[in-house]
Amino acid sequence: MRPFDYVAPASAQEAVALLAEHGDHAKVLAGGTDLIVDLKHHAGNVSLLVDVTEIPEFLGIEETDEGLRIGSAAKYGEIMEHALCREYTPEIVAASHTVGAVQTRNLGTIGGNLVTCVPSADSAPSLLVLDADVTVAGTDGNRRMPLTDFFVGPRKTSLAPHELLVDIRIPKANLGKPSHFLKFGLRKGQALALVNAAAALWLDDKGAITEPRIALGAVAPKPVRCPKAEAVIAGKQPSDELLKEAAEMAVTECKPIDDFRASANYRRQLVRTMTYRCLKRSVEIASQR
Amino acid sequence: MLVKLKVNGELRQADVPPETTLLKMLREDLGLTGAKLGCDVGDCGTCTVIVDGDSLNSCLMLAAKANGREITTIEGLATSADLHPLQKSFEELGALQCGFCGPGMLMSAKNLLDKNPEPSVHEIKDALSGNLCRCTGYTKIIEAIQDAGRELSGAAAGN
Amino acid sequence: MVTTVKDVKTGAEALTTDKELTAPAVKPVTLPSENPVVYPLTLPEPAARTQTPAVGQRASRPDGRLHGLGQTKYIDDLTFPHMIHAKILRSAHPHARIISVDTSEAEAMPGVFATLTGKEIPVNSFGPTLQDQPVLAGDIVRHRGDGVAAVAAVTEQIAADALEKIKVEYEPLPAVFDPVEALKDEIKVHAPNSNIYASKVIRKGDVDKALAESDHVFHREFRTQFVEHVPLEPHSSVAMWDGNGRVTIYSSLGRITLGREDLSRTLRIPQNRVRLIGTIVGGNFGGKNEITNEPILALLSKKTGRPVKCTYTRGDEFVSSTIRHPFIMDYTTGVNNEGKILARKIRLVLDGGAYCSWTGTTIGKGSILAPGPYNIDNLLVEAYAVYTNKTTTGAMRGFGAPQVCFAYESQMDDIAVALGIDPLEIRLRNAFSENSFSPTSQVLQSVAIKESLLQASDRFGWKE
Repeated sequence: MRPFDYVAPASAQEAVALLAEHGDHAKVLAGGTDLIVDLKHHAGNVSLLVDVTEIPEFLGIEETDEGLRIGSAAKYGEIMEHALCREYTPEIVAASHTVGAVQTRNLGTIGGNLVTCVPSADSAPSLLVLDADVTVAGTDGNRRMPLTDFFVGPRKTSLAPHELLVDIRIPKANLGKPSHFLKFGLRKGQALALVNAAAALWLDDKGAITEPRIALGAVAPKPVRCPKAEAVIAGKQPSDELLKEAAEMAVTECKPIDDFRASANYRRQLVRTMTYRCLKRSVEIASQR
Repeated sequence: MLVKLKVNGELRQADVPPETTLLKMLREDLGLTGAKLGCDVGDCGTCTVIVDGDSLNSCLMLAAKANGREITTIEGLATSADLHPLQKSFEELGALQCGFCGPGMLMSAKNLLDKNPEPSVHEIKDALSGNLCRCTGYTKIIEAIQDAGRELSGAAAGN
Repeated sequence: MVTTVKDVKTGAEALTTDKELTAPAVKPVTLPSENPVVYPLTLPEPAARTQTPAVGQRASRPDGRLHGLGQTKYIDDLTFPHMIHAKILRSAHPHARIISVDTSEAEAMPGVFATLTGKEIPVNSFGPTLQDQPVLAGDIVRHRGDGVAAVAAVTEQIAADALEKIKVEYEPLPAVFDPVEALKDEIKVHAPNSNIYASKVIRKGDVDKALAESDHVFHREFRTQFVEHVPLEPHSSVAMWDGNGRVTIYSSLGRITLGREDLSRTLRIPQNRVRLIGTIVGGNFGGKNEITNEPILALLSKKTGRPVKCTYTRGDEFVSSTIRHPFIMDYTTGVNNEGKILARKIRLVLDGGAYCSWTGTTIGKGSILAPGPYNIDNLLVEAYAVYTNKTTTGAMRGFGAPQVCFAYESQMDDIAVALGIDPLEIRLRNAFSENSFSPTSQVLQSVAIKESLLQASDRFGWKE
């Protein structure tokens, strides 16, 4: 790697100020599983790495009055082992398990994954279906926004160049919401997703589906929700036909591409099957409650 | 920048440029060449070391980020008195052929057994998904890890 | 698929696949008259095997202990006082004429010790079969992995940065990537020579007659892909040229005696001045059977008076080291109603990439094994290896055997399904037995294919 300076500021404001000062020449370092690889291959003109993993408000996983707070610098390995995540958001744990391999999960952070905003970001769908929102630190302090608004396009988030992702919050009402996540890659380990899918829903007293959520990854310019497919099942009694109809609708809501990993058509088949399976499993979990 | 670490129980330090990876520091500044450079992008696992109890790719971690932390490398697996059970079983069961994946493979295996002394075959495969081996086909590696796991948990139970 | 090809020997005669090739005239073997050899040979029982006490015992690797301790020293683990690092600039084009290489700016960089271009290599060609590969490209680059220039600098990073300062002016030439296109010789990779640089014909019986008399004739084309060996240890070498004109090279090379010949040739120094030391190889699989960067490092060491190391990046490994030959395999097989193979006509086209490397061995083994382990009285195998502007293909586990195995076994399944015969049964009906003749009429001994098939199928419960 070409020479650069390294700083590990102790506060978000300090980090934001450094980024604002150095502009394009500064990069944010969290786990480094993407950034260090980039710096090795496409050196660019980077003169400063700002390590955000020593900022206290970026760290930790905790339960607050509002719900579950996951620090953006929480590593996948940490999330997978954390009692709160395992209890309240098992599908975020499952999604974390599909990222890279043990060694990369012990480096990579959930915030880093969201900030890179690749369409195949494995942590996105399971967070989207739980209506997660995010805290962003900028020069004027912190602001909050829904995760859906955070994603803009391929490798593009709504973060301004000097802004930082502080944490991810899952609303209290959604902790323990019946949910399921599936990833399909060309290998079982260390593979990019051809398709990621997640679903979450409740069943009311009469057994009807309420607040259904469906999210997909790797089949659109960014991780997406599927509102039309959600509308298909909202308020209805779950049946195989209904869930299949929703899966069919989800296929119309994604825009997969042809690339060397798979054809768009193959990805659409995957969306159909995986959406159906995620919904089916979510209904099963909900009806066991 | 000065980086101070505890490596295999010993306090070590080196003055390295900030762009130095932990792997480069271990190999070039501390003379610990057990961890290997295989792909340099975190795919092959030959650079695996254990930092504060978690295995990770030392090629993807800046040495600066390891400052003040505790590192175990393959050189720290055996004691002066004896081999680690994993080293014994890997040797006896022929789990190492060209040996280049060995240091990383053994560190991943140690990381697994530290957390789960009696892993199933599925759990072993999952734990090794970040370590590539081109010689063995993995079968003997899996057998060796199970074997060492049995020995370790047997020892823990006082058998 | 009918393709026009040219005879490699004459370089003139246009042939097509449906026109029959003349097999090389077979010289009758003259036997010593007083002691004639009678075929089939009766060989003594191989008693040695059953008597060897090692059989059935667990053997441990002598180097297993150090591997497990992390103490094995691979080349990249070696370091020498005042050692510097080299990097190689790869071609920007798959096929181009090099107009000029200007290394002056790179050489002026702080930390850079020396540069090297193809023009400075004493004898700029090597190769285990044909010496058609330059150490660093001379006038022409023939694939993206060709080295164009090298830099030795105090660190790897400075060497890598210096590569970007080397100015290479190219005149791009049309490139050919499809081996079937390359057969036409419209774009020549090694002009003026034909792209077909190796061929082999095996003939037995009368294949056309037997095909015409067969109850069923099956035809299918099979293709296989490039495969990189991906040894976990990338190629790595360190060269030290001493004041007495001797060069010591530590290398991850698997064949050091052959490597020494190539070094002696390319450096134009006697073999006794080349000391090539191979240590433990971190995975070879056929990919470390020939020299790569060793002469470059030797010359950079000669220029700088320092030990020079170069360890390939994974990228270098993929683009510039050899990989497995993709085969295009055209199989026509005639069988009778019982599934007995009467005739097989095979055409193999090997994608040779930019240079020959171990194609000689690959085309030989590939052709001989192409008909499969089956008794076939009427055979025609034609094989052609062609240059393309792609990564050089060379040795990789089996030298062509896995590619043809995929084809002939796939076709056996096709035939079995079409004739409604059990896939195991059709193999048993055709397989070699003791004293069968190989496609090149070697008498085969210790043939246990039927027993192996039966035992294996028993064990995995095929009949169920």
